[in-house]
Amino acid sequence: MFRKIALVSAATMLGACAAVAHDEPALMQAPPGAPYQQVSELVPLPDYIPGLGALWVDPATLPAGPFLAYDRDGRLSATVYMTPLEALRNGTAYDGLGIGAHNVSSVDVYHNAGHPGVDVPHAHVVLFHDEGARARLAE
Amino acid sequence: MRPARRSALALGGGLLAALAAPRLLLANGPEVIGMRGTARGEHVWFAPVGLAVAPGTTLRFVNDDAGNSHTATAYHPAILDRPRRIPRGAEPWDSGFLLPGESFEATLTVPGVYDYHCQPHEFGGMVGRIVVGTPGTPGWQPASREPGDIPPEALAAFPPVGAILRAGRLHREDMA
Ligand SMILES: [Cu+2]
Repeated sequence: MFRKIALVSAATMLGACAAVAHDEPALMQAPPGAPYQQVSELVPLPDYIPGLGALWVDPATLPAGPFLAYDRDGRLSATVYMTPLEALRNGTAYDGLGIGAHNVSSVDVYHNAGHPGVDVPHAHVVLFHDEGARARLAE
Repeated sequence: MRPARRSALALGGGLLAALAAPRLLLANGPEVIGMRGTARGEHVWFAPVGLAVAPGTTLRFVNDDAGNSHTATAYHPAILDRPRRIPRGAEPWDSGFLLPGESFEATLTVPGVYDYHCQPHEFGGMVGRIVVGTPGTPGWQPASREPGDIPPEALAAFPPVGAILRAGRLHREDMA
């Protein structure tokens, strides 16, 4: 709860000058460099989450992201968005979000009950960037 | 070989006893409560969500969830300024964030009803209730009716005390 508040206020302060992920070569391989930080360094989560891989995010873009999801070899495999349901219901929109890579082979949307960093029920929107991405991130 | 076999037999006996007489509340633990979730985190829960134990029992909270971190945090003003939902005079506990495979132990001595939650998943309804002793235990304190700032998703997830005492260990699928 503390950490979420800290991250949200950081987002408010930095929002104006955040760079947007947009198919840049620097993002294709982990680490993506500034302003991205590894999610497991920001909040208490595993370095590698089965299904999502190793997540990096620009804290200024929390909670929606984009979160850049890398496989075990550090290859950009998915871009993930996390949108709190309550905020959506109350009229918040998450528009014009960045995307890690332009090639998208499939998209998963599902409910997540919360986790450190986005500790309220939210939707995960997962854009896979190649056919094998889902299988690589699963392990 | 021999010691291993003996402990396996002892465990089997313990399980049989627990199945035959869940209300005897003889074991002093550690009683394991798993922190669980579906693979993609659609649902998260404590297993069991309701547990009846004897005073002095040690609980071990174990994060069995490969993709998430959880806490086991007593509702108490001393921790994050939350409403008190453990017996008066009982020691509140907070595991802090447990990564997959990590665990935390707490020993509950004061008889009564203890409500606790997982900090990142309170709005996801991840709460649990432990009943220490029974209403017949001297000094027993009933469940708090103090909702305070607890979200409705969490309030709806506490199992009734009677159901916990009847079952001994109550799982979320038993509550449907
Ligand atoms: Cu949890």
